Amino acid sequence: MKTPYELLAVTASSTDAEIKLAYLQLVKLNPPDRDQAKFQQLHSAYETIKNATEREKYALFNYPEADFNALLDQAFMDLQPSLMSADCFEQLLRVSIDDKIFLIGNPNKLRA
Amino acid sequence: MNKKPLSSPKSSDSDVSILESQALSKQNAGQYKEAIELYKSLLKRADNADWQKALAQCYLQRALAFAAKGLVKEALVLWENYAQNAAPPHLALDRYIGWLLQTNNTAKVKTRLGQLTAQQLDEHYPELAALVGLLIITGKVDCLELLPKNAAFMTHLGFVQEALSAYRNNKLEDIEPALKKLPFRSAFRDFRTLMKAALLPPESIEQAQALLAKIPADSPYRQAGALLLAVTHNGAMLVNDLFQFTPQHIKIIVAAKNFNKKQLELLDILSKQKDRLSDKAKFNLAIQYQALFGADLAQHYCLAALSTYPAGQRDFTKHFGTINDFEAWRLKALSCERDRDYHDAEYYWKQAITVLKNQGAKGAFKIALIMRHIAVREETPEEAMIWIMDSLYADPDDRDSYIKILTYYERQQQETDAYKEWLDKSIQKFPNDVELLSLAIKAATRNKAFKKATQYAQALLKIDPVNTFAKQVLLTSHLAHARKLIKTKKFHLVEKELQRAQTITIGKRYQMQAQLMRGFFMFVAEDKKQGAQLIAESVQKLNDGLACAYFCVTLEALLLDLQPAPLLKALPPLAKDYWLSAQEITQLIKLIQQYADDDNASQALLHKALEKIKAVIKLSLKQQDYGEELLLSLCQCLDHIRHFELLTVCAKIAQPLWLKPIWMYYRVYSEAKGNPEKCSAIHSYRLQENIKIALEQKDQRTAALIGKFLEKYYESIKPKSSIFNSLFGNTDDDEDYDEDEDPMDALFGHLPDDLFDRLDLKVHELMKKNPPERMFKMLATAYLSNNVARMQKLFNDTPEILYAFLMLKAADDLGLDIDVTAEEIIECFKDQRPTSFPFF
Repeated sequence: MKTPYELLAVTASSTDAEIKLAYLQLVKLNPPDRDQAKFQQLHSAYETIKNATEREKYALFNYPEADFNALLDQAFMDLQPSLMSADCFEQLLRVSIDDKIFLIGNPNKLRA
Repeated sequence: MNKKPLSSPKSSDSDVSILESQALSKQNAGQYKEAIELYKSLLKRADNADWQKALAQCYLQRALAFAAKGLVKEALVLWENYAQNAAPPHLALDRYIGWLLQTNNTAKVKTRLGQLTAQQLDEHYPELAALVGLLIITGKVDCLELLPKNAAFMTHLGFVQEALSAYRNNKLEDIEPALKKLPFRSAFRDFRTLMKAALLPPESIEQAQALLAKIPADSPYRQAGALLLAVTHNGAMLVNDLFQFTPQHIKIIVAAKNFNKKQLELLDILSKQKDRLSDKAKFNLAIQYQALFGADLAQHYCLAALSTYPAGQRDFTKHFGTINDFEAWRLKALSCERDRDYHDAEYYWKQAITVLKNQGAKGAFKIALIMRHIAVREETPEEAMIWIMDSLYADPDDRDSYIKILTYYERQQQETDAYKEWLDKSIQKFPNDVELLSLAIKAATRNKAFKKATQYAQALLKIDPVNTFAKQVLLTSHLAHARKLIKTKKFHLVEKELQRAQTITIGKRYQMQAQLMRGFFMFVAEDKKQGAQLIAESVQKLNDGLACAYFCVTLEALLLDLQPAPLLKALPPLAKDYWLSAQEITQLIKLIQQYADDDNASQALLHKALEKIKAVIKLSLKQQDYGEELLLSLCQCLDHIRHFELLTVCAKIAQPLWLKPIWMYYRVYSEAKGNPEKCSAIHSYRLQENIKIALEQKDQRTAALIGKFLEKYYESIKPKSSIFNSLFGNTDDDEDYDEDEDPMDALFGHLPDDLFDRLDLKVHELMKKNPPERMFKMLATAYLSNNVARMQKLFNDTPEILYAFLMLKAADDLGLDIDVTAEEIIECFKDQRPTSFPFF
């Protein structure tokens, strides 16, 4: 699960104003009438870290979460993604062919 | 296929029609195997075109059913049987060719593909065309020369090869024009989508993903799309994707992602374990692949993972160093809180506070936050308040804490000096705080400190000029002050006070209240007749009905120590059959509440004022059809001023009408005159039934009211301690006393269970190792300046003390500070009676 900092795309050293700005921008993109759940998530994240006291409280009373996916995100992040080569594309096409591919057509739609 | 012409069936055989109907019925039921046998049997008897046609259909359906089960070879044979029995054009030819391709039957594939017309390839068999297209461009099937040259398929294939060639030669700009030449209905439509998506990363990953989602589930390019989609993913999502693919697929994806050796190594481990990684395995991977995860993230993960994998503590320390004391206590406390063990959590938080205290001002704010955090978890408001008050020593500027303390004291039945003290402190700290000023106004009004209330209200109005509450208070204060001045005959000051009241713009009703007070002033100080007239006029304007007017005049007169009778004469007479409207009842409730709360009119005065209109209220309650909500408000109001006579009437009328627990409560409560001791047994049973109903209906308020009443009722019927018990002991009280005074609890009750168990284990270890004499000596040396005789005496007085000393010794040996001293142990056991030996 994402932390409030990750949800609002800010850091622990961001100022109150920066956090508020980030929150308002995200709310603009996710207004409550479009996605109530997302809005609630953002609002709750903002309330959790909106000022120094709340941030201190979060740092003190939030139990660190053992998120293995966060480690995987870090380990398998494309630092320099590149264009797929033609060779790779053709190999990908070749390995994609298996028995399932031959199951063509809809049995209810028989054509002579 | 050359078949001899079929003759009509020979109907001479009587069984034929039975067989025919059986065959048809099996065919319709989808039992093709049986149907085939029956048709074959029929055809042995006679040539019949319909039977042969039906037989062919059965073969075809059976072929399709086998193919659906993946039994392609069987499907092939059955389709060929179908083809032998049916005249061309044959159904499902494309599927037959698909099966041939799947079984690598090159000769037959070539024959069948060679027989396809351009129309069949371009229009009739789009799925087959798409498949053949993919097989041709991947070089899986060499059949290009067999296909009809005039088919659009061939032209489209040319465009595809043009695009692929541009891709291979890195002429990316030529790809798009080539792909654009492919029309929407081309057999290579999904190829185009796939290739476009392949060219979008790294710039437009999301666009590529959107394109790939457009490839239909039954397209031969679907699998390639899924592989390409995985290439566009990163991190945990990519790893989870890889779990779905074969090693061959994974190889291509990781090649496309350009993973390094370490990444490949980790991926290999992960793909072998899939999603069955244990906590231990994850912990070890986090340490082993720190270089990939980043040291900070790995440390963060391992720290958090220790709660589910505590055995990792040693490895954690080895790789990341020891956790600082504060962090260690904090994590223990949070871990306990997560398990809802708030008792132990409090202990660990206290240890964390001790560490922070050594950090001076830097740790003060954290201390305050922790104290407020503990306060939230405390069982009683009293304990919570102690923490909140203490937190203000560490952080004296927390407004919320002041509000919480004041709210707590405000809820106490009797106002204490502590409340006044905290209120003064709060106002001094936050002189412009609206909420605090409002609390100060309420307190001053309650204490009839009108001058102070006026000052606070004025201060509040300076900050918030439209604050209605402050205006109301100000007006009430002026009127109350005017009343006091009239009462004490300081008439020269009254006019000024009334003028002040009239300058407050709060609404006509309030102005009229000032006018009413002026009437009383006139009645007392100037002209009785004119005064009575003014009172009568204003009180009628002020109220919706005559009953309220009577109540109001009577109460005001009583508050001024005047006889109400002469004033009431100025009002129209109150008829015996006068009925109060629902509106007037509402107003009467408001009036009673206003006089009881704002003007602090005593219950006696309120009862006296109600006496005049009691009869008409009773009559109205019996005759009028008031709503339940209104009667409930009236009951609450009458309960507030403890007017049980009217409350009984009201509850008696309402209870049979609505049959709700609240009405049963008011009925019993009013009949017992609010005194649980007077409640009858039958009524207590009724309440017991109704508390259950209230809980079922989730009416917590009523359940709480009944519960409180029944609790007092049970207390009142509990038999008092007999002389026998008091003489010979063993009373309940004695048991309570023992429990409260248990010195072991007092000394070690604050320790978390796990710590207590650890110490207990150590105590038993000490006892095993040391005989009693050595133990006394050891404890005397450690805690009683080597005075073994004293140790012996303490033990003789109360043997349990030995266990307490051993606990202390165990803690010292383990290097733990348990916040208990030898002096405290001696003090605690001072007045204890000897009990049985704890462990000898």
